[in-house]
Amino acid sequence: MWAYIARRLLTMPPTLFFISLIIFGVLNLAPGRPGESAQISGAGESKRSSAQRESFRIFKEQFHLDKPIILNTRMFLTADDVEKKLVDAHGWGDVHDIKRRIRARNMLEDAGEYLVGPLIALLDHPDPRLVSASIEQLIEASQRQIKPDGDRLLNQTAQRGNEERKSWRCTATIPAPAVIHTKDVIPAKAGIQSCTSAVAQWKTWFLDNANHYTWSALEKTRRVFFDTRFSYYWRNLLHLDFGKSTVDRSDVFDVVLSKLKYSISLSLISMLLAYLIAVPLGIYSAVRQGSVGEHLSTLALFVLYSLPTFFTGTVLLRLLSEGDPLAWFPTGGFESQDPHRLTTLASMRDVMWHLVLPVATYTSVTLAALSRYARSGIIDVIRSDYVRTARAKGLGEWTVIIKHAGRNGMIPLLTLLGGLLPVLLSGSVVIEVVFNIPGMGLYLYEAINNRDYNAVMAVLVAASFLTLVGVLISDISYAIADPRISLE
Amino acid sequence: MSSARYSDLVWHQFKKYTLAYRSLQMLVALLLLAVFAPLLASDKPLLWRVSNGPWESPWFWSLFDRNVYEGTLDIVFNVMLVLGVPSFFLFFVGAVREPPVRTLRVLLVLFGILLLFTLFHHPSHAKISYPDLEKIMIAEGQEVTSVYPLLPFGFQSVDLSNVRSPISWAHPLGTDNAGRDVCTRMIYGTRISMTVGLFSVALYMVIGTILGALAGYYGGRVDALILRLIEVMLSIPSLFLILAMAAFVEKRSIFHVMLIIAAVLWTTPARLVRGEFMRLRSMEFVVAAVASGFGKRHIMFREMLPNALGPVLVTATFGVASSILIESTVSFLGLGDITVPSWGQILNTGRSTGMWTLILAPGIAIFITVSLLNLVGEGLRDAMDPKLRQ
Repeated sequence: MWAYIARRLLTMPPTLFFISLIIFGVLNLAPGRPGESAQISGAGESKRSSAQRESFRIFKEQFHLDKPIILNTRMFLTADDVEKKLVDAHGWGDVHDIKRRIRARNMLEDAGEYLVGPLIALLDHPDPRLVSASIEQLIEASQRQIKPDGDRLLNQTAQRGNEERKSWRCTATIPAPAVIHTKDVIPAKAGIQSCTSAVAQWKTWFLDNANHYTWSALEKTRRVFFDTRFSYYWRNLLHLDFGKSTVDRSDVFDVVLSKLKYSISLSLISMLLAYLIAVPLGIYSAVRQGSVGEHLSTLALFVLYSLPTFFTGTVLLRLLSEGDPLAWFPTGGFESQDPHRLTTLASMRDVMWHLVLPVATYTSVTLAALSRYARSGIIDVIRSDYVRTARAKGLGEWTVIIKHAGRNGMIPLLTLLGGLLPVLLSGSVVIEVVFNIPGMGLYLYEAINNRDYNAVMAVLVAASFLTLVGVLISDISYAIADPRISLE
Repeated sequence: MSSARYSDLVWHQFKKYTLAYRSLQMLVALLLLAVFAPLLASDKPLLWRVSNGPWESPWFWSLFDRNVYEGTLDIVFNVMLVLGVPSFFLFFVGAVREPPVRTLRVLLVLFGILLLFTLFHHPSHAKISYPDLEKIMIAEGQEVTSVYPLLPFGFQSVDLSNVRSPISWAHPLGTDNAGRDVCTRMIYGTRISMTVGLFSVALYMVIGTILGALAGYYGGRVDALILRLIEVMLSIPSLFLILAMAAFVEKRSIFHVMLIIAAVLWTTPARLVRGEFMRLRSMEFVVAAVASGFGKRHIMFREMLPNALGPVLVTATFGVASSILIESTVSFLGLGDITVPSWGQILNTGRSTGMWTLILAPGIAIFITVSLLNLVGEGLRDAMDPKLRQ
């Protein structure tokens, strides 16, 4: 028994790893740049001001969204690649394709430090506009990250360096671009271009700092695999750091933990209620087969089984709480506005009051499935020999049904316990959204709408973990209840 | 009876379950409703004539119009409608009792040609609202003769002068908060639910069957790998995953929703087929097939699969029901395709506006569809159970 539990517990981490792999893959491979809508709602790509762009860049850096997903090949960028991207980003090429332009711009923005080498090489380019563009790009690419928890002195130096390099620009504006090819040369008119001093400054700077921007073969291999979004994510996951919410920068894991109490209490209460109703109902309809009561309960359960949760919830809410026609229950939430004013007893009553409708909806989902199993479980057992023996030796009908048939017939319900958990968790989104209960489901829903993908990921991983635990518990209780099942 | 085909046997048995059989008939009726939706509700007149000009039928041409029906879905249904009316007469009026294979093939080819035609067809009168046009023309003193379908509304035609109108003869289910006719939207919603149900189930049945067959046939490492994958997928609460996937697709269409449902739900048939294949693998006919030197693919999909298909069909029926439920849940949460009049979408509007028609109509529609499917599934399951066969 203990060996079995230990073995099951040991298989959990790899399963969790695969789960997070799948979730990570799904969220990252899907189109749509996470965080973008949260950061710059409404502003079109082209209309974004430089301040907005800058804050978005820092934001991406903070959440490692600027890194490639699984493999990093950016250190192999050549000057030619970067030149093409620069031409694309500024729309100097033949094709005026806005999507391509945006893609190039994003790529340049994301590549960061990997661009410095190729950009320095581009400083010798004959086209003055390209030189100027390279310098502008260099200012961005050579920014050192200011780590809030880092060494203060180092931060100050980095800050000073960042500020200083911002002044190493070409001094005059560049003539409005005509459409030119990459290799075409526009003769620099006297007085308009004066990049020479800036170019010289950058080159000397690079001579001093080259060791930051050139990597050994070993370092390159390491970075291919480890300077990626997936790697950062996993490193954080290992110390249970699911990252920060991209919306309010709160710690996602803490929030999920605090939300769990609502979801779990809701689903546990409903599950308990469902079992309390389903078991007697199942026994009744199995014992009284063919009676009017059995037909009625079968019909009622069938109806419950096919009713969508969101429909039941909406109807209950609309019918009983919105004051039209009735206003018996609160319109949503887990407790009243300021629960601190209430005494403990009153606040418990308050929470119960809020939970009536959601629990009723929740229970209706579970009930139908459960009592079907309860009924068929009893029917399977009731015709068996030992039940006949029990009757034959003169035991009362009640004892036979409850003590003999009931115990055995309910075993299938135990296996359902584990299977129910994911169903209940899935249902929690709908119910928490409808009844506005601040649990995990609602949090997921809001995170999804905000494209807050650290939060989505944390909720999914937490829910999967709960499911795994639930399945384990139900397997163990199954084994305890039924000695015929050997776990070895 | 002993020489009858298995499918005939099951069908014969199935017909004995009156409730399930009637449910199947109702489902066919629902499918027909989906196909014939434009005949019931459309804002394009069936016939149209201005003063003494020629008779036109904007309705007919709008059937192939991508601008009226923004999804590909409606076009497919409309092509089915155009082909369906003649074949309806052929098959059911009595000209042809049993459709011969050749007729079906011809129909299929015609179906393809018509679909291709819609790709190149661009009618000019795309977004004209004919009822409004008619009012204007009559006001200008022109004589307009027009014949509309029963409900002269489009499922997207907004009428801000007629918002939240109650149930009336003109609007059998009233209008919603944007003045759209609810009944029309409900009818077109049938199309969404039917397609989502059938298409996503077909898709995940194929994926699941293939993976399950591979796992069950080869066993060993392949089996372990696929089983692991199934286990992992089952540990993630399915709705959570579906919602998350839906949220990160830009410009969701209804097809995305179907794909996502299929990508998450394939585990059920996979487990089932795996179990069946493991059972069948050691059976004599399989051993005989192996001994006769048939290829693996032949053995798996020609010999074994037909014998494993029974339970798969039953889960498919229940699967259609759950796919419809999932799609409406996703739409209800506002994460579906927001351009289509899906039932879940309508209910979502009902929740935010508190209008009873918008809550009850789609809710009951979903309930009925799902119940019918569950009843058919149960009937099918019983019909396939040899213990219950007389």
